[in-house]
Amino acid sequence: MSAAVPALSVPALRIRPRMRSTELLLLGIVALALVVGASSLGATQRLLAARTAGESLASLDLSPPDPRGLAVYLAALFVVHLAFVLAGRRTDQVLLPAVAMLGGIGLLLMQRLPQDLVVQRWGDAALGLGQLQLGWLLIALTVIAALALAVRSDAWLRLYKYTWAAAGIALLLLTFVFGSEVNGARLTLAIGPLSGQPSELLKVILVVFLAGYLSENRTLLAEESTRIGPLRLPPIPYLAPMVAMWAIALGVVVVQRDLGAALLFFAVFLVLLYVATGRPAYVAGGLLLFVAGSWVLYNLFGHVQQRVDNWLDPWADPLGAGFQAVQALYAFGRGGLLGVGLGAGLPTIGGRLPVPAVHTDYPLAALGEELGLIGLLAILGLYLVLVIRGLRIAAAAHDDFRAILASGLALVVGVQAFIIAAGNLKLIPLTGITLPLISYGGSSLLANAIVVGLLLALSDRGAEPPPPPRPPRRGLGRLRRGAA
Amino acid sequence: MDGFLLTLWLVRILFLLLLYAFLFAVVRVLLRDLRAASRSRGELGRLVVLASPRGEPPAGAAFALDVIATLGRDVNNSVVVDDPFVSGEHAVLTFRGRSWYVEDLGSTNGTYVNGAQVETVAAIGFGDELQLGEVRLRLERPQT
Repeated sequence: MSAAVPALSVPALRIRPRMRSTELLLLGIVALALVVGASSLGATQRLLAARTAGESLASLDLSPPDPRGLAVYLAALFVVHLAFVLAGRRTDQVLLPAVAMLGGIGLLLMQRLPQDLVVQRWGDAALGLGQLQLGWLLIALTVIAALALAVRSDAWLRLYKYTWAAAGIALLLLTFVFGSEVNGARLTLAIGPLSGQPSELLKVILVVFLAGYLSENRTLLAEESTRIGPLRLPPIPYLAPMVAMWAIALGVVVVQRDLGAALLFFAVFLVLLYVATGRPAYVAGGLLLFVAGSWVLYNLFGHVQQRVDNWLDPWADPLGAGFQAVQALYAFGRGGLLGVGLGAGLPTIGGRLPVPAVHTDYPLAALGEELGLIGLLAILGLYLVLVIRGLRIAAAAHDDFRAILASGLALVVGVQAFIIAAGNLKLIPLTGITLPLISYGGSSLLANAIVVGLLLALSDRGAEPPPPPRPPRRGLGRLRRGAA
Repeated sequence: MDGFLLTLWLVRILFLLLLYAFLFAVVRVLLRDLRAASRSRGELGRLVVLASPRGEPPAGAAFALDVIATLGRDVNNSVVVDDPFVSGEHAVLTFRGRSWYVEDLGSTNGTYVNGAQVETVAAIGFGDELQLGEVRLRLERPQT
């Protein structure tokens, strides 16, 4: 430092650009793959249109169906990359390309589906499915970049965990009271012109709360136990949140009729409990609670019974309740190993799609038909990459809160992808949640963007050290309990 | 027309190949990262010095911890804390199965975890603060 440099320098301005060559290389492959995929889609659609019109094509036109939309998406990816380079934070370089690939596949799928599946009108302008998805993807990328660049301290998440929990419960109650029903499930909350699915946001809040709670009580939960006969239970006061969690999951099923969210919340809770304590007994106990709860719900509620019956035998009513499940299975079958090619699958039956909810609940069925088993495995591989990367960030974290938060954020995306993929493939009863980052839908894309943005911020190796822990509350005897 | 279909088929397969090219590139990055992490394995936690008025050990220093680490003013300790308010054999940190414990070895001025005095043995989690005399230290997760 020379003497000319002023003694007081603003820390935010001392950032030096840092090259991110891995990210650039991976984004290059993503861009190439998406351009090739769009070309294949455009050419197939033109060929099929010519065939149905009885004409023959003079030459093969390999231009994408919506070149401007694709160009805007790719440009946005490189703008985010440039912002990361200029900011110079040492954050993860694999997450953004993996998310970009999943989002791009989703965009191709939405451009390929009939555009009138979802239409938003503003005055004269009407936006179709592909354009809406592009808009949401751009907003999601902005959220990712904003969180990854701006979040430098996690104190606002760590210190207010009960505030977050209260906000989450308030959101849940609001949906119970004011939510509108779609397909028999009370999921959608509309405030003025905006409508969204709060359960998507709720999953992020849940992970933040659990990370705070479990990191504060980790040693206690891991080491001490109350014996009741042959059972070794955690200290009784610390068991309460676990039972509360179970009750909330059951409540979501009963009142909201949202099986997917309930399953996701409970699974994430059990996984995080295991991550924090390393005790399989907790997971076994949680699974027992789960089985008991499922059995009771199955016997008491018609909508649960209907879902399970549909799963066990969709062919009992192939044109009614089992229609989607049967058509999805046929779609997977038509796809085979290599798929029929983007744009060539999903023949409409009498002018309507065989799988009505293909853009939200069944994107994997469409992708399985058009990209085949090979393509489907690659997509599942992309989710695995997200999970592995999140767990690596957790392993490198300085303290328990960040470690549990990072693993929770990664696993919430992984578990959600697993639940919906298994539902699509008829491995478990179908639950109406979205396929993260691929499905159409603003709430889903935004919630997952928050997850990815937080993971990126947590992965910063030069981040601020964790804030000092607060002294323990009196009366709980957290420290004085002898352990010898 | 057959030429068209062949080209189209090749473009389709190229898309699938590029998906796998991406996965392959990602896996290479992950493997490189894991190899780098496995080279620096073997510690169970680290002790970072937050404040040290006498400068020995200096603030900011980090000690990699083995299963047992003794703290005190005596030179035979694994972490030597040279502070007039620290006893020769002050405290011992032990890793027992799942978490760390700190034990006070009958020191004159006591050992504190997050500001609460340790009587005999106490559990200490990653991110917790340890105070011996005027020296404050923080237990951190092992660096991978």
